[in-house]
Amino acid sequence: MKFKKPLLFLAALVASFLVASALTTVSNPNNYSESYPAVVCPPTLNGLTSQISISSRKTQYQRLENRSSKTLPFKALRFPVSKDSLVISAQGTTPLIWQSRTGSWAGGTMCSGPSAAAWFVGGTANVTSRGRLILINSGLSDAIVDIQSYTENAKQPIKSVNLKSKNYIQLSLDSLAPGDKALAVQVIPRSGRVNAFMIDEQGAGLKALGGDFVNSYPNASKELVIPAIPNQLPKKGEKASGAHTLRILTPGDVNTTFTLEVLSADGKFIPVGMSSRSIDAGVVSEFSFEPKISASAFAVRITSPEPIVASVSSSVTISRHKDFVWSTATPPLTPMSVAVTGLSPLIAFAGESIAVKVQAKLVNGKTVSASVKGSDIATWRVPANARSITIVSSSKGVFAGALIASTNGYGFIPIVNGSALTRVEVPNSNIRVLNP
Amino acid sequence: MAVTDRHLVTAIVVTHDGETWLPAVVAALASQTRPADQIIAVDTASNDSSTKLIKAARIPLIAADRDCGFGDAVALAVAKMPKHIEGNSEWIWLIHDDCAPTPTALEKLLEAIEDRPQVAMAGPKLLGWHDRTHILEAGISIAGNGARWTGLETDEYDQGQHDGVHDVLSVSTAGALIRRDIFEELGGFDSNLSLFRDDIDFGWRARVAGHGVIATTAAVAHHAQASASERRSVDVNGAFLHRPLLLDRRNAAYVLLANSSWWMIPWLSIQLLASAMARAIGYLLAKLPGYAADELLAVATLIIKPAEIVKARKLRKTQRLVSARVISSYIPPRWSQIRLSAARIAEVIRARVIPVPESSSPSVLNSLEEEDLLVPTQRFQISKLLKNPAIFGYLLLGIITLIQSRNRFGVLNGGALSASPSGARDLWGLYFESWHQVGMGSSHASPAWIAVVALASTLFLGKAPLLITVFFLAAPLLIMWSAHTFLRKLSKNQFITIPASFLYALSPVALASVNSGRLATLVALIIAPQIPMILSNWKQVETNNWRRIYALTILLAVLTSFTLITTLVSLGVIGFAIFNDYNEKLEKPLFLARLYKRLTLLIFPFILVAPYSFEALARPARFLAEPGLNLAGGSTALVLSGNPGGAGSLPWWALSPILLLLVIALFSSSNARSFAQIGISFLCAAVLFSSILITVHGNSAGTRTWVGTLLVGATLASVAAGVLILDRLRTVLIASNIHYRHILAGLLLIITALYSFSCVGWSVTAGADSPVQSNMKRVMPAFLTAEADTKTLVLREVGAESAKSIQYYISRGEDISLGEPDVAPGQVREIEIAAQELIDGSGISSSQVFSSYGIKYVFVKNPFSRNVIRTIDGLGGFARTSATSAGVVWRVTGVTGRIIFTAKDGTRSLLEAGEVGARTTVNGPGTITLTETFDRSWQILQNGYRLDRAKDEQSLPQFQVKEAGEISLLHDGTIRRGWLSLQLIAWTLVIILAAPAGRRKREISEKELA
Repeated sequence: MKFKKPLLFLAALVASFLVASALTTVSNPNNYSESYPAVVCPPTLNGLTSQISISSRKTQYQRLENRSSKTLPFKALRFPVSKDSLVISAQGTTPLIWQSRTGSWAGGTMCSGPSAAAWFVGGTANVTSRGRLILINSGLSDAIVDIQSYTENAKQPIKSVNLKSKNYIQLSLDSLAPGDKALAVQVIPRSGRVNAFMIDEQGAGLKALGGDFVNSYPNASKELVIPAIPNQLPKKGEKASGAHTLRILTPGDVNTTFTLEVLSADGKFIPVGMSSRSIDAGVVSEFSFEPKISASAFAVRITSPEPIVASVSSSVTISRHKDFVWSTATPPLTPMSVAVTGLSPLIAFAGESIAVKVQAKLVNGKTVSASVKGSDIATWRVPANARSITIVSSSKGVFAGALIASTNGYGFIPIVNGSALTRVEVPNSNIRVLNP
Repeated sequence: MAVTDRHLVTAIVVTHDGETWLPAVVAALASQTRPADQIIAVDTASNDSSTKLIKAARIPLIAADRDCGFGDAVALAVAKMPKHIEGNSEWIWLIHDDCAPTPTALEKLLEAIEDRPQVAMAGPKLLGWHDRTHILEAGISIAGNGARWTGLETDEYDQGQHDGVHDVLSVSTAGALIRRDIFEELGGFDSNLSLFRDDIDFGWRARVAGHGVIATTAAVAHHAQASASERRSVDVNGAFLHRPLLLDRRNAAYVLLANSSWWMIPWLSIQLLASAMARAIGYLLAKLPGYAADELLAVATLIIKPAEIVKARKLRKTQRLVSARVISSYIPPRWSQIRLSAARIAEVIRARVIPVPESSSPSVLNSLEEEDLLVPTQRFQISKLLKNPAIFGYLLLGIITLIQSRNRFGVLNGGALSASPSGARDLWGLYFESWHQVGMGSSHASPAWIAVVALASTLFLGKAPLLITVFFLAAPLLIMWSAHTFLRKLSKNQFITIPASFLYALSPVALASVNSGRLATLVALIIAPQIPMILSNWKQVETNNWRRIYALTILLAVLTSFTLITTLVSLGVIGFAIFNDYNEKLEKPLFLARLYKRLTLLIFPFILVAPYSFEALARPARFLAEPGLNLAGGSTALVLSGNPGGAGSLPWWALSPILLLLVIALFSSSNARSFAQIGISFLCAAVLFSSILITVHGNSAGTRTWVGTLLVGATLASVAAGVLILDRLRTVLIASNIHYRHILAGLLLIITALYSFSCVGWSVTAGADSPVQSNMKRVMPAFLTAEADTKTLVLREVGAESAKSIQYYISRGEDISLGEPDVAPGQVREIEIAAQELIDGSGISSSQVFSSYGIKYVFVKNPFSRNVIRTIDGLGGFARTSATSAGVVWRVTGVTGRIIFTAKDGTRSLLEAGEVGARTTVNGPGTITLTETFDRSWQILQNGYRLDRAKDEQSLPQFQVKEAGEISLLHDGTIRRGWLSLQLIAWTLVIILAAPAGRRKREISEKELA
């Protein structure tokens, strides 16, 4: 055949191409290592009692001061903490800490991994303040933290704090802006593995006025949703416990306006005076509102043309004493697990269209599933004997927060992932890094 | 007509096997316008018919022994002459048997001496025997290195440019007229100089005795220089083994040492020895070992017999009337020797590069038409120049290259190319060193390309960065030139070969190589077209002489030094050829003849780049690696189209016609088919290799192989096939009606044109922002380079914006420079784990690991993930020392450095560390840990003894010190030096074998001689 040889060469070329294509592995030079970073729970300050809810008895922990890498199992699902801050290898299920001062207040927060920055909108620095800002360095190196405070009067000078490794410090809130009433604090770690928590405790003389954890929000944004605000309905013959106070700040340099929209089982509406309300830049503003709604919890959505941070303080009465709750904004809901042993929170989901699948793992090992659907706001009470709840799936634009009541007080806990799966790229050794 | 009868001239003819020239000589003597008054012949026992010829001419003959020298023969004749009468002007005229004076020679000589009473010796202008326009001598001298100095150029044409009467140091004895009384007074010629240089010696002695020596060019003689050109054997006493060169060099040295001032002797001795050695090397390169030996033996024989020199100097001292310095004006200055040598070399190069064409057009002087003489024969027009496709092509490519390289005017780096060190010295250092301070340190053999680049840098006064910049700028032009030298052998039509060469220089592989800093592929692009030029008949390889085989060996060795993929290609090609030879059932001698030559081409290049090539057998990935950083090549589909891919390569839409051309040529009936088969074979190999991931040159991640070198073969074959097709097709298309060939040719041309426009467009726009650029910012901040030889773990996000990845390496304080990636070690596993844990935050012990390996700092180069920076902040053992726009630096806590001393009580302290070796003191017994990769060549000496060496748990070298005292750390480079010596010998041998062989003088044809 005249073209036998050329055809053979062509065939060889095609065969080479096919073999090469088959041999070529999908080479992704980037490998990743996935892990859940250890979470840190706040220490138990003097006069307080704490209990951490864990999902498994085998969950490992170590005390903050412990410099070795040795960890211990909890051996319990609800662990009382006498003093120390704990570093917990939670492996994807975020532990909750519930703290209280007997007969005065109670509040909770998520134990969380180190954060880049945290906004605390809450607390006061006036004469009633007994609040604390707790800064924890769980790393093995010293850390530097900048604290930027804002009040109703002005933006305060930045305060830099050095934190020794494996240590924590507590700063009195009144030291941040002495005499000012409305605080908003941004904590910015410059270096180190830093967590920050804020406890707002107030009292007048010997009289306790209540207290709560002020939960943090990572950054200012143009739309915030506070998904769970307690609305204590007056019992028959009693007066309503009081108005809600919105504390809001635009940390930028430009004055702005905001609109607050209430999302409740009774509908979605803007309270009087809360539409396009102007606020000054760099100054904390407070606005009271008292929505007339029948549900025990509601949510608010705050929108603004400029980035803002905000929270709502609500007065509650529990066991015949007054307490207050700081409800803070939360990021959108994502699949996650939260340990809730010993607590039976009411979880409020807020959003335009709510479709959330939740699963509760009970202490006895059984699992209970629920599908929460609705619009604007929907609530779900976690079974009393649940050890953890898992958000299996969620529709977009849904936010969640938990309201917990105890004999000592009332608390709000944002449903956020305190121990998100961290995907870290495994670095390659390559001399190329030394070439420009 | 005789001018005067005042002088009495006796012609003395000395014969020695001179029958070839003697008839002409006798005739010349007989036809003198002023005949000699007397002729005496001395024959030194000639073996031919010389005596018969003399006798037939009725010339009185004196018989002498065969080993009688020229001077002795003349002395015999003078002795036979009637006694000299005081006051008479009596002259002897020395005539060699191969020297024929013109009829007026004696008359003109006598005319010249007539009004110059001080002259004792006069010589004629000597012209060639065969080429009578070639001037041989008009007076002679001797250079400081012993060379015979005539002041003339090689093969200088006599146009009367040297005419006149010149005062000279001496004249040749051929045709020399010497005053008899002075000849006798000076004792004649030195009997130690039986042949050669006796003339210079006599002239020198005459000069210092206060006499004059002149060369008069009005007198002419033709000289065959039969002894010097080895036209007859030299049997004189002292001419060991009949070696005229040995005699000549020995006598030259003798003349210099016997006549020069005493204080000049040491300097002259050095000069003689050095020049003898230099000339010996030259003769060795020209494969004339006999001449090389002559050069050295000549000086040696004189040095071992100093008594002769002492005696000669004593004699000359008695005859000296004026200072020896009187002759200094006749010794050629050194600059004129250099100038003449340079002119000779330039002429040789010119003759090679621009050979004088044999004129095919008749001279205008031959024209019969008178008016033609008024018409200018040539008129220079720039437009005419631009119409020349070669000039236009090179000019266009030059302009495109300049525009494309607008970001590359300066010190280049980026892509696979790292910055060049400031001088060639650093490159030589890297090549010669047995230990490289890269990463954790390595004793890998440096590849031979480093030596090639260092050697080439010497052309740029040792400025390696300048060489690299110029190379990358000139590479496209060099590639085009190289391709054109090959393609013009395939077609005489420049309108085909020039565009084809142009496209080769702008091929996807060429553009990608320039843009991504691929040195090896660029060298391959330049060298590849020369391979078929040297080896004309591969199938019948035995028809190529060994010199060609070795020349190709050198070319392949240079290519192999840059990339060992050449060895793989050679293995494939040569293996296939041997298999074919075997199948053809050739006769054994023919089979072996082919086998030896083919194996030489396979094995020698591999040996010449040893030990790097030998090390590659243990690290096979090196066979697929290119110099510099290991960057990924492109996808298989891209490679199939002739584009190697990777950073800086042409985008996929600039589809080259390489594959289409090869496929069309595959079905061609012309020679293009052979090229297509070669090209397809290269393409198959490229496609297959492109799927392989390699880990090499300090890159631990598997990286897709860059197959640029293989695509060079495919591209060149494609271009060559295209030239052959077009050359043949043009005439076919013109002569035939439209059919499929027209359509195919049209399609091919359209695709080629589209490619040309797209690739030129891309390369002058987006392509100019290639990875290789000039004056890029350094990676390492200055403050980290301040601490000498400190290890810093550098973390950086590298890669394209869409595919950034975190990578790290250990720096010794500086960015890497050219050649270092090739010797970079792989990463230590413990450091790998520690770095990984550093990033993911779990590295509680990372700082401890770094500290134990001598890593003092961790540097994160900006931009970098803030989360990771925070993670490192949170880890223990790292103290942040700075955070600047360049990045963040942490100091690893704990005592760490290059040499750590651990005392018996466990106290760690740092010892003073040099760059590689070190000399320091220890205060007591303990353990020294060297934080470098373990190597058996690491040694520590204390009190003349080697300390015990062991591997510690980190596999670092550890030495046990038993007492306090000074210690010396060194890396023993004996093995490396041994390899380098062997390499030097191998290269010298192959270069000698490849160099054109010099010819012995007796092998030079009569025609070539003057």
